[in-house]
Amino acid sequence: MHVKPNHTFEPKIVAFVCTWCTYAGADLAGTARLQYPANTRVVKFPCTGRIDPVFILRAFQKGADGVLVSGCHPGDCHYMAGNFHARRRFAAFRALLDFIGVDLQRLQFSWVSAAEGGKWVEVATELTERVRALGPMREFKELEAQEQWSGAIDSPELQEAYEAVGNI
Amino acid sequence: MNTTAQQLDTTAIAPAVYATITDAICREAEKALESGAVAAVVGWQAGRRQGTAMPAIVTTPADTDKLIFSPACVNNLALYLSKAKKEIRARGKIAIVVKGCDLKALVGLMGENQLKRADIHVIGVVCPGVRGTSEPLAKKCRECTVHTPEGADVTVGTLPELPHFTPAESEELARLEAMTPAERWSFWKEHFARCIRCYACRQVCPFCYCEQCLCDRNRPQAVETTPRPAGNMAWHIVRAMHLAGRCAGCAECERACPMDIPLNLLNRKMAKELKELYGHEAGFEVKEKGPLAEYRENDDQSFIK
Ligand code: SF4
Ligand code: SF4
Ligand code: SF4
Repeated sequence: MHVKPNHTFEPKIVAFVCTWCTYAGADLAGTARLQYPANTRVVKFPCTGRIDPVFILRAFQKGADGVLVSGCHPGDCHYMAGNFHARRRFAAFRALLDFIGVDLQRLQFSWVSAAEGGKWVEVATELTERVRALGPMREFKELEAQEQWSGAIDSPELQEAYEAVGNI
Repeated sequence: MNTTAQQLDTTAIAPAVYATITDAICREAEKALESGAVAAVVGWQAGRRQGTAMPAIVTTPADTDKLIFSPACVNNLALYLSKAKKEIRARGKIAIVVKGCDLKALVGLMGENQLKRADIHVIGVVCPGVRGTSEPLAKKCRECTVHTPEGADVTVGTLPELPHFTPAESEELARLEAMTPAERWSFWKEHFARCIRCYACRQVCPFCYCEQCLCDRNRPQAVETTPRPAGNMAWHIVRAMHLAGRCAGCAECERACPMDIPLNLLNRKMAKELKELYGHEAGFEVKEKGPLAEYRENDDQSFIK
């Protein structure tokens, strides 16, 4: 009988991929029957250039423990330069997330071509294993759970503001 | 002694410096309006309360004597020339009074095709510094590199000897960078949790001129609009990301924030990153494409597997 192992942590990995290279690569992994952890949810985009950082943010907010973004190798982009633009955007976004305090080990970028079914398996497996070891992404979930802003009615900031108004 | 006088004393800049600049601004504005070269001058005038200032749009030579320059002239007037303020631009050629940091915003707007150099007359002010909201001198002025604006049509004032200031904001940035990610997360979480989503930071920023902000959209909704901590975090990340490589560092967003969130720290960090990554510094030359709108084939990709 199959016992559902609900006592262990299974990471949710969201993968944003471009349709021309990485999606085809992941498809190849499937038709070649290569095995990899079933934790990855693939979301297909026309191009990595279409993957707005806000999607990555949204994934984390909605419960992803890890995010994978993957597209065509430089020079192979179906739209010539979409991945080059994406590369700069992601470099900046990583720096921003790091400064905010997000653990960058949970965010992986890769280039996987349509012929690289094996590399897709490798990248997806590696990220899944790494996130499994890190445990659940608690930060965003905690924020989701918090309903109130911290400025309670008797907070020092508000007191100060009331006093300032009184002094004008 | 009232607080304004105290604050002036601590910046140690003689009020006469500001008075000289005020005179010169009035003269330049009068000249520009009288000759018919411009239809209006955007500058500062005294606010209703003693020691304050507010933006002014002057259209007749007679009115130019109400223009001032004082430590209270914090506003970045470049805001009034972005496309979001169409009614001002519709008047014709406009003269604008700018400090060095404000000029960086104008240059950025020109690069983004919001503004043509030929359509404006720039009265640059050699600026010894302006007041902060809670400190005698604005944090940005403690480490200003653009006291003398470059490339204005006329530049008024001369720079007095400035006292040595500690670069408070750079020090704070270094302190944050030295923290662990978890510590930084709790630092920002505390700050962002206070955000009331009034969007003052957005409204005051010359670069937030989008007619529809991503953060106001709800179909599909990318960023929650209520001031819950989760939506606040997303809002601040989106804001910093959209201003990366564009922000002029005028710190208006931080000044306008009623909840004292250190927004300019984020701006400064992104500016620093983009300089390190792509050698880009916003606001010094009119560039058609910012660092996130162009690419090189050999850009760093060490973070990509
Ligand atoms: S940053 Fe520089 S130019 Fe801007 S207000 Fe301060 S001193 Fe003046
Ligand atoms: S983000 Fe803030 S500091 Fe940067 S240009 Fe806008 S208002 Fe000025
Ligand atoms: S001005 Fe301050 S409180 Fe208002 S939306 Fe911006 S960060 Fe939040």
